[in-house]
Formats: sequence, structure tokens, C-alpha cells
Amino acid sequence: MSGQVTLGETMIAAIARTIDDGTAAFHGFGSPLVQLALHVAKRTHAPDLVLVAGATYGINPNPPFLAPTSNDWVMDRGSEAALDIEELFDLAAAGRMDRMFLSGLQIDKWGSCNVTRLGANELKLKLPGGGGGCNLSCDVGAMTLWTAAHRAPANDQGKRRYRLVEKCDFITNLGHRTLDGRRPAELGHRGGGPDSLVTDLGVFDFDDDGHMRLTGLYSDTSVDDVMESTQFEPKLADDVATIPLPEPEVVELIRRLDPMRIHERELQPGDRKRGFG
Amino acid sequence: MTDAPTNGNGSDWPGAPVHTAGDKRTELDELIGHVENGNTVAVGGGLSSREPMAIIRALIRKGVKDLNVVGSAHGIDIDLLCAGGCVSESSESYVGFEQDFGMAPNYRRACESGDVKVNDSCCYTVVQQLRATIMGLPFMPVRSIRGTSVFDMHPEYKTMTCPYTGEELTLVPAVQPDVAIIHAQYGDAHGNLRIEGPPVADILFAKASKKVVASVEEIVSNERLKELGGANIPYFYVTALAEVPMGAHPTACYPFYAYDRPHTKDYYDQAKQGAEAFKSGYLDPFVFGCTSHEAYLEKVGGEDTARHLGSWKDGDEAWMSLYGSTPA
Repeated sequence: MSGQVTLGETMIAAIARTIDDGTAAFHGFGSPLVQLALHVAKRTHAPDLVLVAGATYGINPNPPFLAPTSNDWVMDRGSEAALDIEELFDLAAAGRMDRMFLSGLQIDKWGSCNVTRLGANELKLKLPGGGGGCNLSCDVGAMTLWTAAHRAPANDQGKRRYRLVEKCDFITNLGHRTLDGRRPAELGHRGGGPDSLVTDLGVFDFDDDGHMRLTGLYSDTSVDDVMESTQFEPKLADDVATIPLPEPEVVELIRRLDPMRIHERELQPGDRKRGFG
Repeated sequence: MTDAPTNGNGSDWPGAPVHTAGDKRTELDELIGHVENGNTVAVGGGLSSREPMAIIRALIRKGVKDLNVVGSAHGIDIDLLCAGGCVSESSESYVGFEQDFGMAPNYRRACESGDVKVNDSCCYTVVQQLRATIMGLPFMPVRSIRGTSVFDMHPEYKTMTCPYTGEELTLVPAVQPDVAIIHAQYGDAHGNLRIEGPPVADILFAKASKKVVASVEEIVSNERLKELGGANIPYFYVTALAEVPMGAHPTACYPFYAYDRPHTKDYYDQAKQGAEAFKSGYLDPFVFGCTSHEAYLEKVGGEDTARHLGSWKDGDEAWMSLYGSTPA
């Protein structure tokens, strides 16, 4: 791995690129790739980012290291101030939260996510639940989605368990369509919905219709890899580019912020060995 | 002794009682007498911090049943209550162990078997439902939720057209927990509570619930409480409190102690093996086998463990070492 940039570091940098300077952004709990992306953005191209940490609601914290759990005093060390739980969600409801980061065990082609249950009718698997995602997905200015489990290998019977699905069993976090095909704006929601998705196989945006579209690949993944592991057919950008690798300073920053490499717990075991450059 | 609550406006709705007794101090076993079968319970803290674990273990030993738990982001607290057979409905917004260990095994089993009715909520929805109660209103509007499956899951959510703007809004009904169980760093004899660090939803829970029972690391004088920075939950919301040092273990209660990750890993490993394995491997030794909180503290390593988990103060290296150094 030494001398190489890892998949985790490349995903963190890709998520960080979706964060604009001079905006307010909030990460949830249980999302070290995103936590690190916000810290990278704040310390590189977005110094005027209002970074609101999930669980502690600390503003612009400077944690000495990433802890494996989000509601820990480690994670709000150095915060300039802190929000109450109601204040954070009020900000989003009032249109003052520019970006949020969400994921799911199912993510559909419109960027809706399921973190509640598998089984559309009968409960097959109870997932942990969405935290604040359901409310925030309708309210925040824009969303970055991410998953480190896009790759869906076939089992012995040739069946795949897709992360990127045609249709979610349950929509916890709303993307660009409801299950019955309505657009959030028709419902009066003010949020802009997801505008990007970063996965272990590629990066995506959403076209004018709100449909997921592949825009970037890693040097070791192909359009075929993406198609094989996606239950629907994503649109393809005119020019599917290679995802840029993080600058050496960014890699160094990530390694300093996360000495225990907590973020790698989000990756599939085989993906922890992937490196580039 | 605890007080007999009065209700200022003489009606059941919407006021919660004010608790005016002069001395709210009691013992853990008496404290949990305020939680009754079938109650809607707001559990304080969040994820791996300041969860009222000693109260929860005592409730399981007592055999409390049919609780409806409400709250935001939780973990081992709700998972353990489910393993103890205390819960019949969950209105939490998250129950899990984040990326550290993943899904909550006992909670999952209880939901998937049908023992626990799944009634998932969302953080802002919970906030608005509590605020409705706090403001004496029957509901609060929210912009979000419509169009998600969470809306379809909750027939009690309604919609209305705003008479001022013509916009369609979601309405969520007031939620008034029967009892909030909270673990705070400090309290005084009168029941004033001081939470240090993120309060999560605890202050809202305290203001909205009919009763608040609290365990605290230390009961101090009101003068000392003010020196420490003052109460953030005034005494009249609080029904009773008990001094229960390490009462949030194995979750963190800074500045006293950090999260006991090795204990939590052991918990998780036992829970993952199934209900029977969890009963013999965890519930029997750590809950039923410890008839008092003191016995539990001895079981988990007593003074040595307390000192070790307090060593986060010794610097970043010491702090980091409490989490283990390699990925799971």
C-alpha cells in the first residue's frame, strides 16, 4: 500500500470534491468516509465551510483522531460552537443546510435510499433505521450519496444481492422520485435531492430528469463492472473520465486524521487492498 | 423520597406535571419503580454515549414489559432492552452499532420475529413531536416526510394545506413519553441536572415527559453545580434521581470515562451468536447475575476498569489506545 493511494482515500477525495466552499454541510453518524471528506474539504479547498459534525452537532471540530463511534468527545474536540438537535434540523427545514450525505442498503436509480427494512411486504431484514435522513433528504440543498458496497458478486446460484437497485423495498430517504413516480417538487419539498454518488466502482451524477448517470471510473474498474453490479441500467455521461487521485497532501492529511484507518471498516475486505498510482 | 406530581392546569392534556419535592434523591431500585409496564419511554443519550445503562439493566432484572421506546440514534441501550424482553414497540430513528460493529443483533431479532412492532421514526419528526408537547400543542407541522415510505408507515401522520401559503405540509402528533430515563454527569438533591457535552435529545425528553428519572455520576450541592456551569435540566421536570457512578457503562460518560469498546465487542459477539447464546453469555453474567449495580461494576473490572476508561485524559495516544489499534 505504501506509495500507493488506496480506494478509501480516493473515495474520500471524490466525496470531498462535492463540497463547496462557503456552504454549510452536515454528516451523519456511522460514516467515516464522509467525516474524513468534510475534514479534507475544510482543510483544502473549502476553508469557509461550516462543518457540522453528526451526533455531536459540533461546528468545525478538530478531532485528534477518528473514533469508531460518532457520538464521542473525540469527535467534537476543538469545535467552535455546538448546535442542539432541534437547531440542526431547523436549519435544514428552513433551507439553510446546503449539503448532507446519505447512504442505504438499497439505493435506486433516482437516488432514493432504504435504511429501514428489506422486504417490500413481509419484513425480511430489519435495518438500523435512517436517523435524520428521511427529514433531511426532503429539505437539504443537495445530497451526496455514497456506498462502499456497490460491487455485487454472483453467488453459487448466480444470484446477486444488489446495492444499486431498480426500486427500493422502502424509501427512507427520498431521491428524485417517490415509489409511485412523483417528483419531490410536486410534493412541495424544497430540497435539491442527490446530485452525486460515490461508490467503490465509480462516481455518478444525476441527469436533468433525476436519473443516475455514470461519470467516472477508477483505473481498475470498467463500464461492464458497473453494469454487472447494478440492477438497473445507469445512464452514461458522454465522457466517462478516470476519477482523479487525491493529491499527496490530501493523502497525508487523511492518514494523519485517521491513524487507526477506521474508514476502511466501511470497505469490503477485498477492496481494502485496492491501490492506485 | 419522590414527590406526588401536580398538574398546573388541572387537565390531562397537554400539561406535564411539575415535580416540586425538595429532595429527589433515591436509590436505583426505587428509581426504576417509576417505569411501568406498557409505558412510552424516552431513553436518553445516544449511540455509544451517556446511555442510562444501569437503569436499563435494573429494568430488565425487574422484568418490565411492553415498553414503547422513542428517540433518535441509539445502540446498545435499545438492543439490550430488546434482549431482555422489555420492548413491544420501537419508535427510534436508528438502532445500531455504526460502522464499528454494524447492525444491532437483539433488536433485529426482536423486530423480525414480530415481538417488537417496527414503528421507525426520524430525528426531526421526534423533535417536532416532543416540541408539540412542550408547547402544549396537539401537533406540529413538518415540511418533509411526504413521499417517503416512512409517511406510509405512520397512519397518524396527516397532511394539511397551509391556510396562509397554500403549501401542503405534514402534521405529526404530539408525543408525551410517560417517562424519560436519563444518565447525566451531575445532579443536585433537588433534581437539577447538568449534562456535559452533547445533550442529544435529553433536554427535549425532560421537558416533554410526564416523569423524568435520572442516574448521575455525582450528586453535588447546587453551589457546586453552578460552579460546574449550571443545570441544563431544571429540577421541576425531574421526578427522582440516584447517584450511580459508571451508570452509563459500557457507553461513555465523559469526562468520567470513555466508551468501553472491548466490553461492547464482547457484547456484540455474544449477541450475534443468537438469543440463547446471548442469554448465557451476556444477560446471565452481566444483568441477571449482578443483583446490584455495585456487583456489576465488580464484574466488569471494578476500579481498574474505571481507571483505564478514565485514562483518555492522559493524552491522545492514551485516548486512542482505548479503541484498539487495528480495524475489525
